[in-house]
Amino acid sequence: MDREQVIKALKDSGKWGHKYSLWAIYFGTGCGIIEIPPVITSRWDAERFGVIPVATPRQANLFLITGYVTLKTLRAIIRTYEQMREPKYTVGFGSCPINGGMYWDSYNTIKKLDKYIPIDGWIAGCMPRPEAIFIAVTHLWTMIDRGTADAYKKYRKQYKYYRKNQEMALGKLEWPPLYPINEDE
Amino acid sequence: MNKKNLIQQLRLTFSDIQLNEHEDGIIKIHAKKEQVKRILSYLKDNMYNHLALISCVDWIKEKEFELIYILTSYLDDKELYQETGDIYLKIRIPRGDPEIETVISVFENAEPYEREIYELFGVKFSGHPRLIPLFLERDYEVSPFRKDFDTRKYVKDVFESIPVIPEEEE
Repeated sequence: MDREQVIKALKDSGKWGHKYSLWAIYFGTGCGIIEIPPVITSRWDAERFGVIPVATPRQANLFLITGYVTLKTLRAIIRTYEQMREPKYTVGFGSCPINGGMYWDSYNTIKKLDKYIPIDGWIAGCMPRPEAIFIAVTHLWTMIDRGTADAYKKYRKQYKYYRKNQEMALGKLEWPPLYPINEDE
Repeated sequence: MNKKNLIQQLRLTFSDIQLNEHEDGIIKIHAKKEQVKRILSYLKDNMYNHLALISCVDWIKEKEFELIYILTSYLDDKELYQETGDIYLKIRIPRGDPEIETVISVFENAEPYEREIYELFGVKFSGHPRLIPLFLERDYEVSPFRKDFDTRKYVKDVFESIPVIPEEEE
């Protein structure tokens, strides 16, 4: 770190902290999770970028959704996402969460994940290489610096729409709303 | 009992089954649905002590479902084990009101297979202790693995009708 960056880090130490400690929840969805073990172990060593896998959503602030999302997994994803502490960042990994990918006409996988939870960025490809994860992480750094990685704020503001979409896909949800919903608006 | 004896015995015991022996050692048995339990328990007593899979095929033009019970054997006797091939027991049931008796009393591991076929094809297994969906979250009017289930229409109706989240107001 050179001197200019020291001042920058001190000026906005919160962002600096968030940037270099992206702890990813170890949540395996679909086939993309097969790329995660080489990324976190010695071959690509994600810890260089401050990315480490953690066991529980309470410790995590990065959520990689690594593949197709079935309705059953969507339920788990929403619950996990709502348990994570802010600031939290989500990255859709692979082509399936973007538009359905090869499951575009499947009866049981959702097609566009950003209708149900907010997404900060996407990694396209089937499968993306592990290097793509690091490119995504460095992009996320830039976004955090500029303050544009604010999908979790959108989730709070537009929660009633998200909740409505989730209920359309899954039926009645068995957990209470995360944020209060104003019906009058 | 070796394989040749078994085939002879099967032909003698069950007169109205159709039995084909293939070159690769697989024996295919076509039978009626009333016989399924009897044939399976007979085979279980005679070397074929493992139910590997229950599968289902939708023959929509013939208006029939075909249930396939795949049996293999786990034997201590290695020579006998080499000799035995798999047995495919094939049973056709009408597509209109598909129902067949459960085989849990013979092979206990049939339970999840039967539940899976129930939710994906809508075949009812009478006598099954808990015939509830295994994987699926939503209710489907037509069971999704049937040939007349229109996946594209379903995707259009369900997933594409969910609106995009509006952008925040400034």
